[in-house]
Amino acid sequence: MIDRIILGHNQFFGVNHLAAETGNQKDAYFSDISRILGLLQFCREQGVTALMMSTHERALFISEALQKDATLRDTNIYLLLPYVAKYVRQANEKGLMNIILDSLNGTSFQEKMSMFLRGGFGVISKDLEKILTAMIDFEVAPFRELNLRAIFLHDVLTDLALGWGVSQVLELFANHVQEKYRAIPAFCTKNMPKLMALLEKTNIKNPLIMASINKLGYQVNPSRSAFETCLKEKQLQLLAMSTLAAGYLKPREAYEYIFSLPKIDSVVVGLSTREHAVETFAEIRRHAEQA
Amino acid sequence: MRIAIVGIGKMGLLHAGIMNALDGVEVCAISDTSKYLSGFVKSLTGLPVYDNYLNMLDKEKPDAAVIATPVFLHVPMAKECAQRNIPFLMEKPLSVTSAEAVTLVADIQKRHLTTMVGYMMRYTETFPKAKAILASGVLGDLITFNATIYVSQLFKTGKGWRYNRKESGGGVVIGQATHLIDLLQWYFGPVAMVSAHTKNWYSQEVEDFAHSYFEFTSGLSGWLDSSWSVRHHRLLEMTINVHAENGNLLVTDDFVKLYLEKRTDGYAAGWTNFYKPDLFEGVAIDVGGPQYTRQDVSFIEAVRNRTKVQSDIANAYAVQKIVDAIYLSASKHGEPVHL
Repeated sequence: MIDRIILGHNQFFGVNHLAAETGNQKDAYFSDISRILGLLQFCREQGVTALMMSTHERALFISEALQKDATLRDTNIYLLLPYVAKYVRQANEKGLMNIILDSLNGTSFQEKMSMFLRGGFGVISKDLEKILTAMIDFEVAPFRELNLRAIFLHDVLTDLALGWGVSQVLELFANHVQEKYRAIPAFCTKNMPKLMALLEKTNIKNPLIMASINKLGYQVNPSRSAFETCLKEKQLQLLAMSTLAAGYLKPREAYEYIFSLPKIDSVVVGLSTREHAVETFAEIRRHAEQA
Repeated sequence: MRIAIVGIGKMGLLHAGIMNALDGVEVCAISDTSKYLSGFVKSLTGLPVYDNYLNMLDKEKPDAAVIATPVFLHVPMAKECAQRNIPFLMEKPLSVTSAEAVTLVADIQKRHLTTMVGYMMRYTETFPKAKAILASGVLGDLITFNATIYVSQLFKTGKGWRYNRKESGGGVVIGQATHLIDLLQWYFGPVAMVSAHTKNWYSQEVEDFAHSYFEFTSGLSGWLDSSWSVRHHRLLEMTINVHAENGNLLVTDDFVKLYLEKRTDGYAAGWTNFYKPDLFEGVAIDVGGPQYTRQDVSFIEAVRNRTKVQSDIANAYAVQKIVDAIYLSASKHGEPVHL
């Protein structure tokens, strides 16, 4: 079972989809890790003991702090990887090829050279497996000691694989997460109905999916009605994100809609103040019970 | 429709992923000089891959091509596509210098070939909304504007073609501020004069900071500040603030805020705000942002119907002339350059 309510991480890392400036202010506020721990402690008192975390630089410090904290150590962690903004900046800074080379840190120089010399069109799927698992291991390493419940593939990679129609990448990810980390493999996507159609052709059954869904249809592709139909017809567990449409909707109307849908197993919520946390948790629990 | 992809770095991967998922469109082949990268694509997808894009164009005879290579390769590759009458979507900017693109632009106009250059900010939620408000005339006479484009990207010497002037054409101005220059030109018409200052700090050959002053033929003037080496900008962020007779308009990647002194044409006096959730419409597939999908769909439809797009090669050429003027002015300590 996954947690009903999962605390989101965006506010901790300056992500705000309504206004970058607000994001920057929160980023400055939460640069003091003790403020993050304080909010986590407060959420625990409210019965919420699950945290979504991307592999952002600051998350490394949160991870260390959690490991040292006797009460927060067993927090259920839902890890989202990789932190894509970092790789986009790196691709602009040094190009895609250098990123791949650097991601093979665990591979010996000779091995790397032989991979690249062999190059040509003879690259085999083993190389792909090696690069993908090296990327996952590199990203997961600082969080290894935490209580990892699920590991999500970031929507940019999920959706890129979806667009290209290369379901092998998704299967490789799922197998590695399951075998090496004993965590639930999961996918973040901006295209839930299309992703479900692709996953049906794989050995990934009843997948855990994180996707934006809200009354406004904001960031819901191709449309809210297509999303709702898919949710009714397909076998999946949904972790709903952007339920407040980037803070645009009030919790009451937002969760009334969310829990009118089937198969909503869990909601990830972004919180920055305690008052906001109390109101949001109460609305989620009220509507979830009614549903 | 069969699409060939030239260059599979970050942008080539993205366009291919989007187009491949659109109805009636398929990526038919890719080419890249890195055999390692293209080897991946082959082993994953089974698509034909080429290390020479000319062989790909001749053998595959695609209905359209995507050119997503370093800037110095854009014009020669576009010429080869044009000679074969293959419509293309090219990543921005058009060229290293405007002079390099003169014959290409003329050739394409003669052939009436559908082309697009990747100024995708026109396909976001907010910037087209601001265009509509500006075009409606509710602001009255426009007086001045200030615009910024910032990202926290480079805080040490960069590697690769982007930081080599011969291959990229320059730094933050040509690489990123061209998005904003494209929008300013879309909003305000042709530029008459430019005065600019640039600064290198982390990069040897290209500018990391640039401040440019513009005068438009309409009489409007304003400035644009740009850098890829400023802190606290996790993502590329753009703002345009227009001051006018009847109020002001502030547009960013996240919102459009209109302030009017008095009620005009259905807009209330005071603030009227539009956030992305107000303006969002779903897309067939979102890979890295819906604006890329809207852009690619617009290109595909133009190829199908043999029509033109707004952000075509002629438009990109006008942007390039402004970039040239910025660099020329900056080399003379801000001396005005007339276009």
